Amino acid sequence: MSEKNRIGVFLCHCGGNISDNVDLDYIEERLSENDEICSIKHHENLCSLEGRNIIKDQILRQDLDRVVISACSKITHGATFQKYIKPLNPYLFEMPNVREQCSWVTENKQESTDKALSLINSAVESVKYNEPLKKIPTSVKNSVLVIGAGISGITTANSLAKQGMEVTLIEKRPAVGGAMVQVGKVFTPDKMSEDCAACLLNPVIDEMVHNDNITLLTNTVLEKSTRNSGNFDVILRKKPDYVNPDKCTSCGKCTESCPTFAPDEWNEGLNDRKAIYKPFPQAVPSTYTLDDESCVKCGACLNVCPTNAINLDAIDEIISLTVGSVVIASGHQRFDTSKRPEYGHPFYEDVLSQMQLARLMGVNGPTHGHLQVPSTGKVPRRVVMIQCVGSRDQMPEGHKYCSKVCCMVALKNANLIHSHYPDTEVIICYTDIRTLGVYEKYYKYVQNNGIKFVRGRPGEIAREDDHMVVRVEDTLNRDKIEIPTDLVVLSAALESSEGTIEAAKTLGVPLTEDKFVKEKHPKMQPVSTDIEGIFVCGTAQGPKDITDSIIQANTAATKISELVNGGLEVEPFIATINVKKCILCGNCIENCRYQALTMYHNSIRVGPIACTGCGDCIVTCPEEAISIQGQSDEKLRASIAGLLKDKKEDEQVIIAFLDDIGNVSANNMGINRVDCPSSIRIINVPFINRVKYSHIKYALTHGADGVFLGEYPDTPKHNEIRENVNIMKKHLEEDGINPERLLIHSVFIPYFRGLANQFKEFDEELQILSK
Amino acid sequence: MTKLNRREMGNSSEEDLAHRVLKDIKAPSDLGLLRCVQCGLCTSMCPASRHSEYDAREIIKRVLDNDESIIDDEIIWNCFYCYTCHSVCPVGNSVCEVNQILREMAIQKDVGKKQIESFMSFADSYLAEGLGIIPEEYHGQLKIDYGKHWENLQEQLQDIREDLGLESMYLLPEAKESVDKTLEAIGFKKRVQEIKDVRNRK
Amino acid sequence: MEEIKKFIPTENITLFRSCLVSAEYPGVEASTKYVFDKLGVEYVIDRNQSCCTGLGHYYDIFDELSTTALAARNFAYAIKNNHKQYVPTCATCYAILKTAAKTLNEKDEVREQINQAFRDNGLEELQYTKGDIDARDDITHVVDVLYYLKDKIPENKKRELSSLKIATHHGCHYCKVHFDDTLCGYRNPEIIDKICEVMEVPTVEWYDQKPRHCGGGFRQRYANRELSLDATEDKFLSLHKEKVDLLLVMCPNCQVQFDRYEQVLEERTGDRHYFAILNIAQLVALYMGADPYKVLGIQTHTVNVELILDKLGIEYDPKEDTLHVREE
Repeated sequence: MSEKNRIGVFLCHCGGNISDNVDLDYIEERLSENDEICSIKHHENLCSLEGRNIIKDQILRQDLDRVVISACSKITHGATFQKYIKPLNPYLFEMPNVREQCSWVTENKQESTDKALSLINSAVESVKYNEPLKKIPTSVKNSVLVIGAGISGITTANSLAKQGMEVTLIEKRPAVGGAMVQVGKVFTPDKMSEDCAACLLNPVIDEMVHNDNITLLTNTVLEKSTRNSGNFDVILRKKPDYVNPDKCTSCGKCTESCPTFAPDEWNEGLNDRKAIYKPFPQAVPSTYTLDDESCVKCGACLNVCPTNAINLDAIDEIISLTVGSVVIASGHQRFDTSKRPEYGHPFYEDVLSQMQLARLMGVNGPTHGHLQVPSTGKVPRRVVMIQCVGSRDQMPEGHKYCSKVCCMVALKNANLIHSHYPDTEVIICYTDIRTLGVYEKYYKYVQNNGIKFVRGRPGEIAREDDHMVVRVEDTLNRDKIEIPTDLVVLSAALESSEGTIEAAKTLGVPLTEDKFVKEKHPKMQPVSTDIEGIFVCGTAQGPKDITDSIIQANTAATKISELVNGGLEVEPFIATINVKKCILCGNCIENCRYQALTMYHNSIRVGPIACTGCGDCIVTCPEEAISIQGQSDEKLRASIAGLLKDKKEDEQVIIAFLDDIGNVSANNMGINRVDCPSSIRIINVPFINRVKYSHIKYALTHGADGVFLGEYPDTPKHNEIRENVNIMKKHLEEDGINPERLLIHSVFIPYFRGLANQFKEFDEELQILSK
Repeated sequence: MTKLNRREMGNSSEEDLAHRVLKDIKAPSDLGLLRCVQCGLCTSMCPASRHSEYDAREIIKRVLDNDESIIDDEIIWNCFYCYTCHSVCPVGNSVCEVNQILREMAIQKDVGKKQIESFMSFADSYLAEGLGIIPEEYHGQLKIDYGKHWENLQEQLQDIREDLGLESMYLLPEAKESVDKTLEAIGFKKRVQEIKDVRNRK
Repeated sequence: MEEIKKFIPTENITLFRSCLVSAEYPGVEASTKYVFDKLGVEYVIDRNQSCCTGLGHYYDIFDELSTTALAARNFAYAIKNNHKQYVPTCATCYAILKTAAKTLNEKDEVREQINQAFRDNGLEELQYTKGDIDARDDITHVVDVLYYLKDKIPENKKRELSSLKIATHHGCHYCKVHFDDTLCGYRNPEIIDKICEVMEVPTVEWYDQKPRHCGGGFRQRYANRELSLDATEDKFLSLHKEKVDLLLVMCPNCQVQFDRYEQVLEERTGDRHYFAILNIAQLVALYMGADPYKVLGIQTHTVNVELILDKLGIEYDPKEDTLHVREE
């Protein structure tokens, strides 16, 4: 910076919004003392076309190389002025927010003027460090890994494939279809009917099978994933193909010959299957499969296979792949009801889960659709269903959340029983029936059909002679009852599947406290994760029904399409690594919650899409090799120096570093004309961790009375940030600076009044401290 | 005609029964009292609810309804303190502990003192020896229920303990003294006297 | 073996004495000592220790503050004695001590009130400092220690017990009060079953009302006798159905309820099926060769245990029992 800059400063009056409360003539006078400022111009409304001409004219006439526009917030007009400063590079300007953060929030004109000067000085000092930058064009590889081939995964895969993307769809189990293929019947709200799930699912599966853009790998799991400049290098492990799918003709002779039995997962353990088997008659792929955990390798199947399709020595296959995006669609599992032994699992065989009941009622189930009491083989006289088993339960191993679908599942199965076995009475014990939207109509329909409801959460089940009893209080009439019944059906909670937890772990995606995949934002970004390029849909993200799963699956596909087809350009404020300084220790890679940094050969690469420019990595680097483009440490220090430049003797100055949320909150203070102490001087930083101890110490030893940190607390780094502040306070103490002069506080956009109060309190405290 | 209850507005208060229960020394900091949805799980597992008019769920309902009459209601004295409700409540409430607090509120009034006066020999024993005993007030029934064997045991206890190679079950003299001072210091002696006063007034 | 999420001591233990054990089933204390000695557990008994107040506490005689102050007093002695690991034989002592430790650690105003009372009355040495006793790690039940050392139990095998049909009854105040600290489940409690497993003694996996209460119910046993017996009857009938020889307990209060009232219940229900009641420590001691009278103290049981001994072929001299009235 040896050469002198040629800076132009433009002062917007904003139709009096600024000029009524800031003495701009005085400001001009003081600015003109700075010999690097070559041009100072006023205008009534700089954002007008006339304003544009003035700016352009001065840039050309005065040969300006940098521009400061003193006006409103960058959020309102930043993009406008970025265009107005052409032919300069669009990143060579700064906008001190003299309207929202000064003239609108300061009553006293003298104070307001002093503050405005300080904000403009800060911009002048900081703009010197701006570099000409360009938006970064990016491209995302046109290939996607979808984990899980249930309804969600298949739906996403189909959508992506139809948009021309190459999809690898992996499924841990030997057949696709997930929970939907097992349930047998699904409920259609507008028809008040229970429809064949397979009939709805099969066309979707067919579409997937016949789409050339989709590679389906069953018996396959994700084993490893590493980020590689925006893409993911993944390693998949496919179980051995003991039965060669190309040779197998599905004749079934192997199964007949196999002497080994194991519980049949497809029928929820209600019956046994052989060790070599086809999961179910309509399974896709239709090849036979071998369960190597129960197989004793006796070789009986080898002798009977007419096509020599079986190889008991087959080994597993490792597949390596590079994809641009990943979709986690690995679904849920059902709560292990033996964790609530009072409900009789596993002690009483006539206690079933809803899924077991569905299998019992399924035409391709163990009884070919005949509802039978397992212990007697007879049609039950009565069935009692118990809701919320493991859901809405904060006790150990339970889940606090509502599983969302169980009320509908119980109603559906109750109605199915009623229509096939009108003499069987069905009673549903519930706490609340949750049938949102049109589902409420189905609830009424089922009630009309004579299904009975008892409002109470049962305590326990006991066996009595040839039946069981359910002990429950009918809370609506305070009646403590024992309901004799032949069959008890438990509505077990939906919980995150082992596969989902494993996939998230492998991919480094955070989980919620309930162990589901955590979305980037639960309301606004429900299919994105913290890691750019990894998406989630279906019950891997939380309990939901088939319709919601499909909606989310399609949304995930759309989001990937945006990345691939959007011709993305991203802001250049991303991390850069000084290769000369970098010792490849990997701390920054470890620390980055966006997985934006990756080790590539002998250097660390930054993924421009993933990097948010938060600067959190800077502090982790022992060699100070990382900086954020256009956001250097020096620039931040210059901003501080500028704010303190013309500080008067009796003036109190608090430097407030606010993250983006805090900055918007501060702007809201202005928009709502909430008073803010004139001592408050805001510097907007992308992330609070970006502010180093050296910056804080510099501020406090160069005239600032206090430093305020405004942090949006809802980030995974929150605790770490608070811990850092404690450490910094200790450093301050060691350096002989009163640690009370540093304060961190949470910020939220709507709570701007709270922020103003916080500023006021801190201002008053510091006044007392200085005395 | 049934009387219609009208709930006037502006009566919600931090001083209502539920909040007083939550503030009690006995209440765990995360007690789920206000989260109760009256599911009745407590009642259906509760021995007192199974065999008497007591209804665990209803206890909570009445507390949440700010029904002060529950403090005077004999029904709260039916709880077994078995903590089953406490260990299964899906929202982390504990009828068992709420009951203990309600009973203590009753003891602050005469109505509760009358309920426990027949257990005062326990307090006397504790004051004398620092040890608890089966209340003497009930020994009559117990002798019938437990038979002669139990009477023999009472008589021969010291010998049997010696045969078993056990030390004396009684506290050392100086320990008794410090128990006595502790009970004085914490106000237990005063409490015992107040309960006995109610008995003697009869 | 499930992961144990609390510290279980094998030394620096104060075996915390229970009033009901002392006066009703002293053999439980003798058996615990016998087993601990065989397993190499280091412990003391401290005659400075007062009763936890448990029974009185749940008769509502003792208020929370007094119970907590007495616990603070006991804690002070245990710490001074360098044996701060409290291991009670009674489930209620276990729960009361844990609750007191939690209160003293978490409720600053209660702790201060108690300390102030100590200071005002010349009892400074009893004052409690936050964190002196860890509610989870410094208070464990005898069954926790037996479970922790269960693999060493078979090394001391002297008797074969596998011919018995046994059911277990776990103390509510062990399982349910501080359920986060309970080992081997509390909805289907199994810690006693797991100890039996190492002795190769099969137990009934599940019976109706297994996790339910014994029916004692503190005041209910005395002031509300019928209600109390109604609740006990549920459990009795279920155990009769299972035709067990022996019911194992881990708490003297449950032992009183099942043992002292077995005859009462048989008369009440007309349903007769003999089963004996033992504390798990008594059974382990028996397994290790302990004398039925001189260690297990079975003469203090109302229900004769001798029939079980007969079934197991264990010799004994009935003359040692001077309590039971025998028809000559």
